[in-house]
Amino acid sequence: MKIMVCIKQVPHQDARLDVRGDGTWIQDENIKFEINPYDQNALEAALQLKDAGGGEVVVASIGPERVTQSLRTALGMGADRAIHVKDAAADGSDALGVAKLLAALAKAESPDLIFTGFMSDDGNIAAVGPMLATLLGIPHTTTAVSLKKENGTVQVERELEGGALEVVDLKTPCLVTTQTGMNQVRYASLKGIMAAKKKPIDVKTVADLGLAGQVGAGAAKVRIEKLYTPPKGQGAEIVSGSADEVAGKLVGKIKELGLL
Amino acid sequence: MGSILLVAEIQKGKLREASLELVSVARKIGEATGREVKSLVVGQGVSGIAEELAKKGGGEVFLADDAALANYSVDAYHAAAKAAIAAGSPEIVLLSNTPTGWDLAPRLAAALDAAFVSDCFDVEVAGAELVFLRRFFNGKLDARLRPVGLPIVATMQPGATAAFSGSADGKVTALAVSVGEGGTRFVETKVAEAKGVDLTKAEVIVSGGRSLGGPEKFQEVIKPLADALGGAMGASRPVVDAGWLPHEYQVGSSGQIVAPKLYIACGISGAIQHLVGMKGSNFVIAINKDPDAPIFEVANLGVVGDLFEVVPKLTEAVKAAKG
Repeated sequence: MKIMVCIKQVPHQDARLDVRGDGTWIQDENIKFEINPYDQNALEAALQLKDAGGGEVVVASIGPERVTQSLRTALGMGADRAIHVKDAAADGSDALGVAKLLAALAKAESPDLIFTGFMSDDGNIAAVGPMLATLLGIPHTTTAVSLKKENGTVQVERELEGGALEVVDLKTPCLVTTQTGMNQVRYASLKGIMAAKKKPIDVKTVADLGLAGQVGAGAAKVRIEKLYTPPKGQGAEIVSGSADEVAGKLVGKIKELGLL
Repeated sequence: MGSILLVAEIQKGKLREASLELVSVARKIGEATGREVKSLVVGQGVSGIAEELAKKGGGEVFLADDAALANYSVDAYHAAAKAAIAAGSPEIVLLSNTPTGWDLAPRLAAALDAAFVSDCFDVEVAGAELVFLRRFFNGKLDARLRPVGLPIVATMQPGATAAFSGSADGKVTALAVSVGEGGTRFVETKVAEAKGVDLTKAEVIVSGGRSLGGPEKFQEVIKPLADALGGAMGASRPVVDAGWLPHEYQVGSSGQIVAPKLYIACGISGAIQHLVGMKGSNFVIAINKDPDAPIFEVANLGVVGDLFEVVPKLTEAVKAAKG
């Protein structure tokens, strides 16, 4: 079985976020990046299927040179090869643009199963997976928390709200977006990292994929007009002082609430 | 001029509150741009809900009522939405940012080659142009998004807009939907078993986040305060994802929706999903190192500081106050 995993490199969860001068994105120089946490679960899900039944895991990502590092990490974890769409012409793509690029890759690869994270930790848009499936004309489901594979189908438990789950069967080929907590993500072993150095990263341009003029900022149907720190609304009354003083004030309030 | 189509949802046999919020959003856009509001109701035996929505501002309500639509599947709902789009010629399609919206909205957007914006908390109408407001980076930054051209598919954050509470006479139009053999098939819905932890009934909840650093810290720092207050312990999603606590401790849209008298959030930044789960709390105390954490926006009292210093002191003070 061939599995394609789409990964995105995003600012590390603890990275300091400053809006850049033009107000449309964050300053992304000199901050730490990581594989989007949801995509780490996607990659783990793929690697577990490969561990159990063999096959090939191909990771794909779009972005600048620094993305190579995340692809090497994925290869170190056990992916077999990587595809990197590295082209300034892809910069500023909206979710549909990203889905078009990935669809071109997927058409060439014909995987049995495609994984993406449910959303990315930067945009939180949660669109690329279902859009990619739609462009490919294959079934999809979102927010998977478990997955079982049988002949010709996968059965997924997807997360709903309030602790509820929905069980859904999908015919393969299909696409599944993964929720965090679906699995415990493995680390790349030293042996894995050494082996990853010999694994191929295939670099593609937008033109290679036949999408010149159809993706990137110019083709985006959604533009970020302004990114900004949320205005301070009502907000909390801030209690300050030493830990003892703060504890005293909080207890006073808890008493006032009639809870002591 | 095309219309605005909202995709309503039914939850536990009732019209979902979030769908009436979509009515508010649709009517706001409609009034400002001269577009007519239309709605879609999907299910089996749901004509009463379509009638209700027609009276509550949903305009012309397309009713896709079929045995094949009894349970949600993205293919069946997509077929219903396509039929409603063919009948209603919308330029703007609105859904709620819910499990149905997550699954269906991007599929619709890609099929329509539409501009797509998700999880918006507001929309502004500037002349003929729409600007959608939403959060990025798990609530740390906000953004104004401008769709370029039409159509637009948007999902709105449940609870962000007031539900339309007026009445307006609409009508119900039955819609024939051909639901083919899709690639997805609904099997069942499961409700996670609560194993003795029912946060929905707790009067006091003390919750911890990822910055606790490990499961033992919950026992050492969070639980003693919860115990001293006669309350329950809760957690944010990353804690549960890391396996530090079982799922039933999770407060959030995908976990427990809670409404305690007092909610103490320790080291919780306040991602939207968490805020949705705790917004029914009567009084919120937040303790966090990061003064910019979104949790401080919804808290009543805030402490900018190290929870490992503050929480044990608070536990002592609570015990002392109780004598």
